[in-house]
Amino acid sequence: MATETLATRKPLPQEVGRFTSGWRLFFAASVVVLGFGIYALSRELSTGMVATGMRNVGTMGGASWGLYITMVVYFIGVSFAGITVAAVIRIFNLTKLRPIARSAELLTVVALILGALAIIVDLGQPLRGIINLFKYARPQSPFFGTFSLVIAGYLFASLVYLYLGGRHDAAAMARYPSRLSAFYRGWAAGYRDTPGEQERHSRTSFWLALAIIPLLVIAHSTLGFVFGLQVGRPGWYGTLQAPAFVVLAGVSGIGHIIVLAAVVRKVVHDKQRIGTEVFAWLGKLLMVLLWVYVYFMTVELLTLLYATPEVEKQLSDALIFGSYAWIYWGSVVLLVIPALILAWQALTRRWNVGVLVASGLAVNLAAIGKRYLIVVPSQTHGTLLPYEVGTYSPSWVEYAVVAAIFALGALMIGLFFKAFPALPLTEEEATVDA
Amino acid sequence: MRRTITGAMIGLGLILMVIGYFGAAPWGADSVANSDPRFGFAPTVFVLGVIVSFSAALVYELLPDRPER
Repeated sequence: MATETLATRKPLPQEVGRFTSGWRLFFAASVVVLGFGIYALSRELSTGMVATGMRNVGTMGGASWGLYITMVVYFIGVSFAGITVAAVIRIFNLTKLRPIARSAELLTVVALILGALAIIVDLGQPLRGIINLFKYARPQSPFFGTFSLVIAGYLFASLVYLYLGGRHDAAAMARYPSRLSAFYRGWAAGYRDTPGEQERHSRTSFWLALAIIPLLVIAHSTLGFVFGLQVGRPGWYGTLQAPAFVVLAGVSGIGHIIVLAAVVRKVVHDKQRIGTEVFAWLGKLLMVLLWVYVYFMTVELLTLLYATPEVEKQLSDALIFGSYAWIYWGSVVLLVIPALILAWQALTRRWNVGVLVASGLAVNLAAIGKRYLIVVPSQTHGTLLPYEVGTYSPSWVEYAVVAAIFALGALMIGLFFKAFPALPLTEEEATVDA
Repeated sequence: MRRTITGAMIGLGLILMVIGYFGAAPWGADSVANSDPRFGFAPTVFVLGVIVSFSAALVYELLPDRPER
């Protein structure tokens, strides 16, 4: 009886199941953006791709890959860091970072789903595209790797990792009296936290982490190869595409994790477990990746400026001095300034969470810019046939659909953390019985 | 038992991946015109192989312990 009374009084931990007015506002705003995006998508599906700003390359002077494909590359890039951080935490037993592991895993799953959605909205006939991929995808094409390894294998592996990692907490949450207890019992699937189960989970998570890391490097390199192997497209063909994809994926993903960690820390009011040392660790990782990417950018810039063939020169002029220059230099500034700030913080060993969050947001804006520059200019300015230079501007439909995809991602994360604890439960939180 | 089933699932997944890969890749096809997968939905078989392999982790953890005598 005493147990029951205590259990009735004890609320679900970490703000789970509590919908504050701020959260309701966030939910309503996200639903509105999502609804408008669905309306825009319905316009695209009913009127055809002419509703977008995309046009055929060359003959129609446009780009057939635009904002949607930019976002595919961006979201799949974001997914990279989440599971990498989670896997590294497990393999090297980085206990300090354990509190952010679940957020990182969730970020990967959500980003991969958003990436898949961004591909689907880019298809004029989505159903036909999906069926044909399952029926005819060919391993010689990098798309096969993107589809089979990134969307299918990598997403499934991340879901398994997230699911198994959450069983312990699901079992504890099931002991709280709540409307979600059936959901927690289902997730826990009979988990009782016995030494045998703990040992098995430790072993499984280690091997899963080991299997996921090479999988994701291959998967992200394959995505780079989608562009890097196209010989007839100046600006895309190059050996640096795959490694640069992986590094920029790390930059955008770590930036996202920093932002998400700051949000979780604020929402669950736990500055102790997600302390400054967690942000310092993430900041150092972001700084190293940023400098590697800045090096890649410098090499790319020098190569573009040094005795380039005619079509490449046309492309590099557009990028550096022409119609794309504001995106190019804007992205450079948004990457270099955070790199300098992070280096300063690392040297002085004084980490400011607000500055780190601003850096995380800045590098993500830069990552979208850089992905756009990879996808679009080579189509408008990189044709080897004697076509006029093309143009591409996304239509309102594309902006609305992309905003809706972001809103859906925010909703998925927001709803998940209202149903499941964002941080691993402490012993006190996991104990319900008196 | 647990290890046997897990190992078997990983093995089955790998076999499916190999079958799916070589079924989808027209290695040795005499022309580009014959470059369709050797059998329908071969890429799906590859994806299934990846999924079965990773499902082995689920089986390893979720399989209940043998009841104590």
